Amino acid sequence: MKISTQQLPLAALLALLGHGVAAQPGTYPRNGVADQRPGVFAFTHATLFTDYKTQINDATLVIRDGKVVAAGPAGAVKIPAGAVVQDVRGKFIYPGFVDVYTSYGVPETKAPERQGRRQGPQFDSQKTGAYNWNQAVHPEVNAAEMFKVNNDQATAYRALGFGAVLTQQADGIMRGTGALVSLNTNRRENEVMLLEKAATGLSFDKGTSTQDYPSSLMGSIALLRQTYLDAQWNQRAPRREQNLSLQALTQQKALPAIFQVSDKLSALRADKVGDEAGQQYIIKGRGDEYQRLNDLKATGATFVLALNFPDAYNVEDVYDALRIPLEDLKHWEMAPANPARLSQAGVPFALTAADLKDKKKFLPNLRKAATYGLTETAALRALTETPARLLRAQDRIGALRPGMEANFVVCSARFLADDNVLLDNWVQGERYQLSTVPADYRGVYTLKIGDQPEGRFLIQGKPEAPELKIVPTAGDTIKGSLTVSSDLATVVFNPKDKQKGKAPKAAPDNSTLPAGSVRLSGYYTQEGRVFQGDGLLADGTPVKWRAARLEEATRIAKRDSAKAKPVPVVGSLIFPFAAYGRSAMPGQEPTLIKNATVWTSEAAGNLENTDVLLINGKISKIGKNLALPKGGRTIDGTGKHLSPGIIDEHSHIAVAGGVNEGTQAVTSEVRVSDVVDNEDVGIYRDLAGGVVAAQLLHGSANPIGGQSALIKMRWGATPEDMKIAGAPGFIKFALGENVKQSNWGEQNVLRFPQTRMGTEQVFVDAFSRAKEYEKEMAAYNKLGKGKQKTTEGPRRDLELDALVEILNRQRFITCHSYVQSEINMLLSVADRMGFKVNTFTHILEGYKVADKMKAHGANASTFSDWWAYKNEVRDAIPYNAAIMTRAGVNVAINSDDAEMSRRLNQEAAKTVKYGGLTEAEALRLVTINPAKMLHLDANMGSIKEGKDADVVLWTDNPLSIYAKPEYTFVDGREMFSLTADAALRADIQKERQRIVQAMLLAKKGGAATQAASDKPQGLWHCDTMGQEKELAK
Amino acid sequence: MRVILTLALASTAFAALAQVPMPTPAQTKPVLITGATLHVGNGTVVPNATVAFDKGRLTYAGPAAGFTQDRAGFDAIEATGQHLYPGLIVPNTTLGLTEVESIRATVDDEEVGTLNPNVRAIVAYNTDSDILPTVRTNGVLLAQTTPRGALLAGQSSVVQLDAWNWQDAVVRADDGQHLTWPQMVFRLNPSEDATALDRRQKARETQLRNLEQLFGEASAYRQQPAGRPENLRLASLAGIFDGSKTLYLHADYGKEIIESVRFARRMGVKKVSVVGARDAWMALDFLKQNDVSVVVSRVHALPRRDADDYDQPYKLPAQLQAAGIRFCLDYQGDQETSGSRNLAFVAGTAVAFGLTKEQALTAVTLSTAQIMGIDKDYGTLETGKSATLVLSKGDLLDMRTNAVSRAFIDGRGISLESKQTYLEKKFRSKYGQ
Repeated sequence: MKISTQQLPLAALLALLGHGVAAQPGTYPRNGVADQRPGVFAFTHATLFTDYKTQINDATLVIRDGKVVAAGPAGAVKIPAGAVVQDVRGKFIYPGFVDVYTSYGVPETKAPERQGRRQGPQFDSQKTGAYNWNQAVHPEVNAAEMFKVNNDQATAYRALGFGAVLTQQADGIMRGTGALVSLNTNRRENEVMLLEKAATGLSFDKGTSTQDYPSSLMGSIALLRQTYLDAQWNQRAPRREQNLSLQALTQQKALPAIFQVSDKLSALRADKVGDEAGQQYIIKGRGDEYQRLNDLKATGATFVLALNFPDAYNVEDVYDALRIPLEDLKHWEMAPANPARLSQAGVPFALTAADLKDKKKFLPNLRKAATYGLTETAALRALTETPARLLRAQDRIGALRPGMEANFVVCSARFLADDNVLLDNWVQGERYQLSTVPADYRGVYTLKIGDQPEGRFLIQGKPEAPELKIVPTAGDTIKGSLTVSSDLATVVFNPKDKQKGKAPKAAPDNSTLPAGSVRLSGYYTQEGRVFQGDGLLADGTPVKWRAARLEEATRIAKRDSAKAKPVPVVGSLIFPFAAYGRSAMPGQEPTLIKNATVWTSEAAGNLENTDVLLINGKISKIGKNLALPKGGRTIDGTGKHLSPGIIDEHSHIAVAGGVNEGTQAVTSEVRVSDVVDNEDVGIYRDLAGGVVAAQLLHGSANPIGGQSALIKMRWGATPEDMKIAGAPGFIKFALGENVKQSNWGEQNVLRFPQTRMGTEQVFVDAFSRAKEYEKEMAAYNKLGKGKQKTTEGPRRDLELDALVEILNRQRFITCHSYVQSEINMLLSVADRMGFKVNTFTHILEGYKVADKMKAHGANASTFSDWWAYKNEVRDAIPYNAAIMTRAGVNVAINSDDAEMSRRLNQEAAKTVKYGGLTEAEALRLVTINPAKMLHLDANMGSIKEGKDADVVLWTDNPLSIYAKPEYTFVDGREMFSLTADAALRADIQKERQRIVQAMLLAKKGGAATQAASDKPQGLWHCDTMGQEKELAK
Repeated sequence: MRVILTLALASTAFAALAQVPMPTPAQTKPVLITGATLHVGNGTVVPNATVAFDKGRLTYAGPAAGFTQDRAGFDAIEATGQHLYPGLIVPNTTLGLTEVESIRATVDDEEVGTLNPNVRAIVAYNTDSDILPTVRTNGVLLAQTTPRGALLAGQSSVVQLDAWNWQDAVVRADDGQHLTWPQMVFRLNPSEDATALDRRQKARETQLRNLEQLFGEASAYRQQPAGRPENLRLASLAGIFDGSKTLYLHADYGKEIIESVRFARRMGVKKVSVVGARDAWMALDFLKQNDVSVVVSRVHALPRRDADDYDQPYKLPAQLQAAGIRFCLDYQGDQETSGSRNLAFVAGTAVAFGLTKEQALTAVTLSTAQIMGIDKDYGTLETGKSATLVLSKGDLLDMRTNAVSRAFIDGRGISLESKQTYLEKKFRSKYGQ
């Protein structure tokens, strides 16, 4: 045993005296006699880290009353009189670790009985008191007020080296404040709390709130934005309402804010919300940050990383393995590299033990992360300096400087070394023993049993769990067992338990041992490092035995085992991080498409045997025998057809976290542009169908829905870069059965409106309010700055802002609609209230009111032949598009469906069959016409010089079912082609196979595994509620 | 309601265009179609063909030169430039059982419970559905009206789409049992852990045990002496053991396909066909070796997994063809009743992704008829067979050219009008179009 003699009395004392040993006197009355002690300790000859990067050899650390007094080289630190001195020679002392993401000692929140769709809607908060209207927004909650010291939880954290944690109730969207507490469990709550309000917490997840709103991710984002505005207004106009939540939010504005997100894309979303609110959030993510590292770095945020690396999957079955998404396979391989990658990219981060089912995996996983290149310095920083700085407590924790909390960890070796053992964790000057130094018997020994020939005795494994191998002079290595306790040793081995191993260096055979187990008992002596004693062979023959350590051989063995481990192989990053992702976006080299039939969707009509030249993302030239600029390439279009890229006016692909915020009748404050999902494989599949752009619409669950996102199918780009720059704002309106919840079951009969009568009133009411609001805002904005500050003024309302934009022709309506009565209703409300309906979408009875639509100037975006799926489409006819076109309405065919979207050319073709449009007219229904109604026609929708190079080369007439896109260009980039697709398929197979092999190997090596479960393959539909996609039938 | 509407329409100029046209009476006069390109349905194409039929049966279908009958007395249709096809057959459909998906009162496709082999779709088949006429106009003239549901959903029947009532519509009553095979593929909700997988696996094993028990007892029940107490369930399953009915196994995942077919064979089922089969590409050898036919679910579908080839559903028919497996195409899924008028186009897509046009046609005519056991009369245009055929001005499988000019069911020239053509004319006249 290596425990130094100085340590023993202290350990004994602690055991005797129990709690409250070194506590300072506080406000609490004490039972019994006072026991205030000096609490002065000096640790000498330590290898001391005063902070994550400063190592002092042969250092002295002095603490008193729970605080650091001195820390420095032995010569520079004077040991005060009366100090308890511990010689920690050979040991390492690190500042105690800090975890900024825990719920240590705070109660879990339990959801009140949930009022789901079955019980009917819940419009209002269930919380009593003068708090915010939304149950998920409760910044007034303070962890400090409910914190209770918890021995079990603290013990688990201390075992990992943590000395202080931020504790917080992780529930809801605005979660309230967290307290910074030490993990000392001998003291009262008042004494372990280092900072009462150290940070605030946020997320997009409404947690246990039972209130309907928000039901979507975009709703959560809108709620956050509006709440920040409300807090400002509440501050300016405090007499308008007493709102304890908003007051609390205002008071917390200066605190660090930790935002928990579910993935890297939501990290980007959170940062955007923060930018608008003037907050730089600290982001606690999922561990997938490496997948979008550059973009996340650009946020300037510090990240909080968990170390819950996924288990390998069971991939033995060829078909079941196919069910595991490529991104999950790759994430298994790359997740342990996440901390290293962030570190190497200079992205600041703290580490947390959160999200680990078994907290004991924290240190092994951290070591695993180190094998991927995370340096010890970076790891230490992420556990000390960074979290302390984030909580603005760097003068109290995270380092060992005079005056700081005496939180430190004593280790047997360097912190990340494989054989390091955390010995003691001192918290606020009190020692918590984690383990004792196990005596290290490992080495190479000679072995002599009775008169047997001399063999070798190898002790390997870990000091606390030694493994024994007997190497006879000839034959195979034998595995044995060795237990040593207090220098008493017991050895058992059976010559039959042979292992394959190198043949020993020299000599005789061991076959003279009788069959059966050999048992040896004995003792270890430090002097000479010898095991010796008595034993019995299997036949009962008594023997003497002796094993003496060979120092030179031991040194060589240790050197060999300490060889640097190779950095594990991981696959390459792809964008997006999903099947069909690429290592980089395709380039924009000049491309000349020769000799094709060009469908211009312009007055020019179809041009035979024509060349089209794409340069720098634009259609540069259209003509015959065009020359190819240098560095370009030619595609032979002979016998093929070139069309403008297809534009889907009505799509719900590429949306994250719900497509409807239908919990209220008017939700114009929510924005699909906040939740674009750039990893939806629907984007790639659309490209394979010749689709280059789409309007991502809010669903149709309420009369005034959310704002749209207009995207191009830039597969691989960030959500932000997928959006069409300069595109005008759009918004979804809806009429009919979805809006009045006709098909939602008998429980949903409370939300207004429930009839088409009520629907009209929602519009009249909303626009009446918007007009009032606009007037009030205008009056307020006219005031001078000084005057504005002293005037209460109107509350900025994101919902009404969007409606004012509509009134001012800055935002355009796409209105889901079916039957003629409601179409006429909205047209008449629009005329009365002074706004325009830009587009009626679906509009299956448009053929009945085409004249009125034409008079209003409304566009129509319809289905080719859908009908009979609900009552309001019983009169839908496939002649609709043709009749409206002939009546002079600008008509498009849309998909509203991820599958049909990739065959929109065929859907357009049906208008030739049903209704007799010309083929050129038919193709315009999915190219220039939707471009016009989306106000994108200046740059998109037709093949015209100067327009965006969004074109599709088809193998056949694009209206024929036999045609398929051979190339789809977006901005002049070859975003899809049959040849590139074939290559991507091959890449996917190869990558899968490589990772599957690695998983099989990991499983064989004893790694934990998990069963494959299928990724939800659902889709958003117009009427999907909530955040779970619907499964296809 | 319908009466009022009809009366109101009677006063308009479109009175003749009733929403569900009157069924055409039996053929009384022979018909002769000349000049068209004949697509027999079995792969054969005959340019400039002559087709003659009388009393509902084809008396000639072949090259013009081979037609020797006296032309007098025929109603002649000159169809040069047009294409003649067997009437398409849509298998595995709720056509006639479901009118409006969201209105429960109009939905009769799924009975409560999981073991309903005694339930028969035919008695709920609604010949007055507004949807039927819109399906016929694109060339679909026969349908297998099929119940839905977990495990044993009930029995399907083959019908023709121009009839006064369901008895009138029957082509083959109660042709098969439909077994929806329990899914092997589970997905976890975000809130669930791996134990949920175990629970579902256990529930599935229970289902399979129950099925095995039922099939075992149903097979034995046939040997019971007369006078036994009547058990509707057991009695209704007799046909799958004596080969008079097909057992349609609805399964998609490759391993489910193999497992379900193995189950049926083990239980002594004579004729099986796999329906859905979206992952049949995983089990091609198995299907071939076991001579199992496949009803491929709607080709216009998304791939099942993100990493699957974008065209996997589109090319599945070609994969089956190449493997030598008999298959036909259905249109199950969202809006399958109203959408089944697009059956020809799923065949067209299969052509774009690997089939020949005639192979694709076979997959919606002859193969369907063979799988449903009606190929003696339907599925091809050959002398002696039913005169159930479609004349189109262009290629029927391409929406760009599909334009049905005439259609005949058992020799009866049926109306190509529908509620939709009526509404088109009504509103075109409003705008003077």
